[in-house]
Amino acid sequence: MEITVANLRKAFQTDGYITDDDVLLTVYLALKLQKPLLIEGEPGVGKTELAKVLARVFQTELIRLQCYEGLDENKALYEWNYQRQLLKIQLSKESTSATELEEDIFSADFLLARPLLKAIQAEEKVVLLIDEVDKTDEEFEAFLFEVLSDFQVSVPELGTLQAQQIPMVILTSNNERELSDGLKRRCLYLYLTYPTVEREVEIIRARLPEVKEKLAKQLARAVAQIRAQQEIRKKPSIAETLDWARALVTLGKDSLDEVTVKQTLSLLLKRKTDQDAFTERLGAGRLAALSQEE
Amino acid sequence: MMTNRLEVNVVRFVQLLRHMGLRIGSSEVIDALQALQEVELSERDAVRLALQATLVKRPGEQAVFTQAFARFFASPEVRAELEQEYAAKLAQRQEMLAEASEDLQFRDVPLALSEEEKLVYAAIPPAARQKMLDYIQRTAEGKQVEADFRPVLESMVRGSLTFWRKSLRNELGQLALPQSDDPELNALLASMEEQPQAAADSLLAEDMQNIAEQDLPRAQLLLQKLARQLVTRIERRFRQGKRRQQLDVRKTIRHNMRFGGTMFKLRYRNHRRQKPQLLLLCDVSGSMARYASFVLQFIYSIHSVVSSIEGFVFAEDVERVTDYFQASTDFTQTMVELMNRSQEWGRGTELATALQSLRANYPHLLSSQTYLLIVSDTKTMKVTQAVQELAEIKRMVKDVVWLNTLPAPEWEKASSVEAFQQVVRMYPCNTLLALEQVMRQKIIA
Repeated sequence: MEITVANLRKAFQTDGYITDDDVLLTVYLALKLQKPLLIEGEPGVGKTELAKVLARVFQTELIRLQCYEGLDENKALYEWNYQRQLLKIQLSKESTSATELEEDIFSADFLLARPLLKAIQAEEKVVLLIDEVDKTDEEFEAFLFEVLSDFQVSVPELGTLQAQQIPMVILTSNNERELSDGLKRRCLYLYLTYPTVEREVEIIRARLPEVKEKLAKQLARAVAQIRAQQEIRKKPSIAETLDWARALVTLGKDSLDEVTVKQTLSLLLKRKTDQDAFTERLGAGRLAALSQEE
Repeated sequence: MMTNRLEVNVVRFVQLLRHMGLRIGSSEVIDALQALQEVELSERDAVRLALQATLVKRPGEQAVFTQAFARFFASPEVRAELEQEYAAKLAQRQEMLAEASEDLQFRDVPLALSEEEKLVYAAIPPAARQKMLDYIQRTAEGKQVEADFRPVLESMVRGSLTFWRKSLRNELGQLALPQSDDPELNALLASMEEQPQAAADSLLAEDMQNIAEQDLPRAQLLLQKLARQLVTRIERRFRQGKRRQQLDVRKTIRHNMRFGGTMFKLRYRNHRRQKPQLLLLCDVSGSMARYASFVLQFIYSIHSVVSSIEGFVFAEDVERVTDYFQASTDFTQTMVELMNRSQEWGRGTELATALQSLRANYPHLLSSQTYLLIVSDTKTMKVTQAVQELAEIKRMVKDVVWLNTLPAPEWEKASSVEAFQQVVRMYPCNTLLALEQVMRQKIIA
């Protein structure tokens, strides 16, 4: 597929990922300039999904590095298969010379490639998703931006490994902490927000064609109202809106009312404190009424 | 030629953004130029998005960028209008300065005041201005007043203007004009509306005392985030990576006997690190309550990286609050309960008595492993006595660290700060950011 904004829009739409031109143009630039794209935004706005869609659109492999507290180079880049090396040593005690053995056990066969190395070694252009990069610490971030700037890594025993194809790199962050300037400098930047009511209606309709337009509008308005409440800490994600829509279709509802909202609220708000805040600030009856207003 | 103009424009636009507080490096400028080559330059939105994707890297910068783009890439007519507006503002400012210099004179010689002070004078209400002028006039006509009284008068006028500067903060902001060497840039900068900084950033840097009631839940969330990050960082250090650890030969041999002695699975020594014991002493007198609430919340959020926390609040006497925090998990509820039940909340400050009482009633908590953290603005009765008590306690514990909630620029003016600094280490702690920094760098480090 030739990379143009129009082509991307069409491919994303076909895949059911409905988004604004701002997002499409930024993705287009990241692909054209072969730069990593750092996506920040609230949880559940579709950051990770964007990487998955890219992989599907370009029909390529998605290599995912899920970041967590304490993630280090061993888990992200490569590790020597120590147990296998030992076995090899045991087996060739008598037969092979020491130099040959050393060369053998430090060869690619004994290397356990982790996501970053896999992406660098991949023969075709893959999508590398570095998810929730804000959960790692600064040391790892520094290591990461070295890899991302040159797309090459050094394995002391093997030498420098250069990427055969520069992967499409998507980094996501929930903004739990500010990432370093160094990392940001190497990336293009996109801040994703929750979709507008109109956009969310389109998303619901694209993903769940069985949901009638009227219900989709009510759902989108209701979710927007909930998201606007400051006291609610975990705002409903787009995926949760879709779950809610699915549930309502299953229950055979074609309109939102107080009882239905009460019965299905736990699909959107999954914390007791958020549910309490909702009841106190908004209430099921009021939400149902607000969702009907054009 | 065309390309050259494009480059110049982008560089000048970046200059404008930098003046507005965006951190943009040269590699980002190169990215911006490359991005522009990939879009249709006649499409305004595409150009805006290309620049945005390459130059804006923080959520709070978006609004600043949008405004700057609209102004910088405006039509020549609009730009000319902006320049005229700036020239008018500049002229008005000069007029105000001249008027202030003319008014503020002592026996026909202008008082030595800075431009900023003169502008404050020009901005204060006419009645207050007249009062100041009357005072200068009366002083000048006084019988015993010699010419060398001028510095005294100047310092009194300055004091009064300092008071007004604080209360007229918003009005004065509008009078401040950018004055770089580039007149075109000045005009653009002057036309920008005051942008609220990235909301989160500004809350973190805001004096805890001034955080508005409606922002409190957000501030608490931010504080919890900071605490979580600190805990992550510290815990990671506690369970250091394999590479940095020493092999535990004994455990390794024992574990690998099942493999006939071949070392398949290596065992490492546990890296034990002494976690600090904290004794927290929070001033909860009058205006200090807000700080105490935040500090207590922060410290209890990082409980997993300290060995133990003992919490005390003090005003006229000391009161142990450790149990409140162990009983309940919801912090806000705990704080409300604490404030309702505490005898000390909102009373006057007497650190000396509080320390005396701490030493007499809780000597077992003051061990050589304990860090004593005092959270207070140093405004207490009986300073000398308090300093002596503090020196006494310092001998009993590992260290005493004072988290001063008074903003650092005001330290010089408070004599109590200097007195306490002679005995203990003192760090500013009036914002959430400062609180996190001092805990990370000075206490848990």
